[in-house]
Amino acid sequence: MSAEPVTARETANPAPGSGFTGSTDDQEVLLEINSLSKNFGGLQAISDVSLNLRAGIITTLVGPNGAGKTTLFNMITGHIQPSQGDVRWQGESLIGKAPWRIARKGIARTFQDLRLFTHMTVEENILTMMEPGSWLWQPGGKSRKARRYSKVSQIMDRTGLTAKRHTRALDLAYAERKFLSLARIMATDSRLWLLDEPASGLDPNSYNLFLQLLREEVKEGITVCIIEHNLDIVVNISDRIAFLDQGRLLADGEPETILNDPALAAIYFGER
Amino acid sequence: MTAYILNLLVLISVYAILATTLNFIIGYAGIFSLAHAVFFGIGGYTAALVAMNVSPEFFVAVPAAMAAAAVTSLLLALPALRVRGEYFVAASLGLQVLAVTLFSEWKSFTGGIGGVIGIPAVELFGFPVYKPWQFLVMALICLAIIIAITRTLVHTSFGRSLKAIRDSESAALASGKNITVIKTFSVVLSSALAAVAGALYAFYMSFINVESFMLDTSVMVMAMVIIGGTATIVGPLLGAALLMLMPSALTYLTFLPQTEIGSIQQIVYGLAMVLLMIFRPGGIVSSHPGGGK
Repeated sequence: MSAEPVTARETANPAPGSGFTGSTDDQEVLLEINSLSKNFGGLQAISDVSLNLRAGIITTLVGPNGAGKTTLFNMITGHIQPSQGDVRWQGESLIGKAPWRIARKGIARTFQDLRLFTHMTVEENILTMMEPGSWLWQPGGKSRKARRYSKVSQIMDRTGLTAKRHTRALDLAYAERKFLSLARIMATDSRLWLLDEPASGLDPNSYNLFLQLLREEVKEGITVCIIEHNLDIVVNISDRIAFLDQGRLLADGEPETILNDPALAAIYFGER
Repeated sequence: MTAYILNLLVLISVYAILATTLNFIIGYAGIFSLAHAVFFGIGGYTAALVAMNVSPEFFVAVPAAMAAAAVTSLLLALPALRVRGEYFVAASLGLQVLAVTLFSEWKSFTGGIGGVIGIPAVELFGFPVYKPWQFLVMALICLAIIIAITRTLVHTSFGRSLKAIRDSESAALASGKNITVIKTFSVVLSSALAAVAGALYAFYMSFINVESFMLDTSVMVMAMVIIGGTATIVGPLLGAALLMLMPSALTYLTFLPQTEIGSIQQIVYGLAMVLLMIFRPGGIVSSHPGGGK
């Protein structure tokens, strides 16, 4: 492993990022993280992190294992309550709110270990994401129901899962499970997607499809925040990068700036 | 012989209702309750008291039994369902132990160890139902209605939510599902429907006591669900039939010591459960013998 900084020029992709052009600093702030901290007993998992997630771009959280990236996601989505600090979604504090309430506000997430509804079919996995209300009958009657099923079919087409419509999630291949995880989040009407290592372990074809899907969604107005270890992916899709280490935010800015910083590279490759 | 078979069929129907209602929460919501016999008992005692003191009319006694079980289960579900699955099992076990004590000691309600005797025949629109075949028809109709209710529910968005919670609570939460409300509703509904079995049992036997509502009944009903096949319609019915028929079948095996039939039955239950968990963890009727639900 080299500590040499990785630049966008070294990747195969001629147009890195989501396709967004312009300064990310000018984008509207969708989610504000203010002085967020989390202690687990004596362990300081997150320490005074402040970060803005800006609309319509892909922000990547990078950092070595144990940096606190997933803990940050868990605090945003309400799965873990912070010890201190605030998370504000379009100006409204999310602290103390249940995960299901936060999800209904428009923040969707995937999990590193996927957490699919394993005994449900691909179709049911996607369909149930469109039914947060869980009433016995969803409002809107037959026309809304037809629209939901049509959207499910469309999502399965885009993610290459149509042939697996009636297959249980448990019986899917690894890459298919990854795409089902993405398909589920695509089914929500969420404005912000938090993706925890969504492309790890994908073969080149699947990886290219993943990038294509993500770029298409960002173009449609979705804001994405990704946790990723693979620098090739980081370089290819990031519009902005936040670098975490040992629970602290060390840097936040444009990919060129972050990836060309030798000090950050040294931390990332464990050479400091 | 006919009376014997009719008796067996009525009891199978009653336990099939219990197994179907327990399957609703075990198979579809992943909530393992060891207190199902409590709601069976509350249904039985309430229906008996209503029949003796108010009216033996089916449409009075059974709704009263369902309401009593629903309220009791709500008291259990609200605090207990906020915790993870294994803690709910412990909480339900606690309720089962507590309920047996109450059933034994609360003499004004349950008659204590002696139980409630002289329960009148249930009436349907004023007509008493006391012949075994009439009772069998009534029990089968109740079973069919309960199967229809649970089957309909699991095919709605509510059912998908239950299954989502069963497979991953955290992912269900992240998809916007209020899992506390969904789980509470499922437990309350399951308990209320289990009370129907209790009411039918009380009317059929015309006598009930705590012996029928103890932990071994909860375990037996759970065994019916697991052996038959969780998250299936037919599984709990098959499980109820097998486990109710087994004691009778064993008596025909004359080479077995007849005084030890009870112990042999327990050994067969245990062995069947262990073998099923190894070779067919989804139960006999599972469509996914490799371990699916």
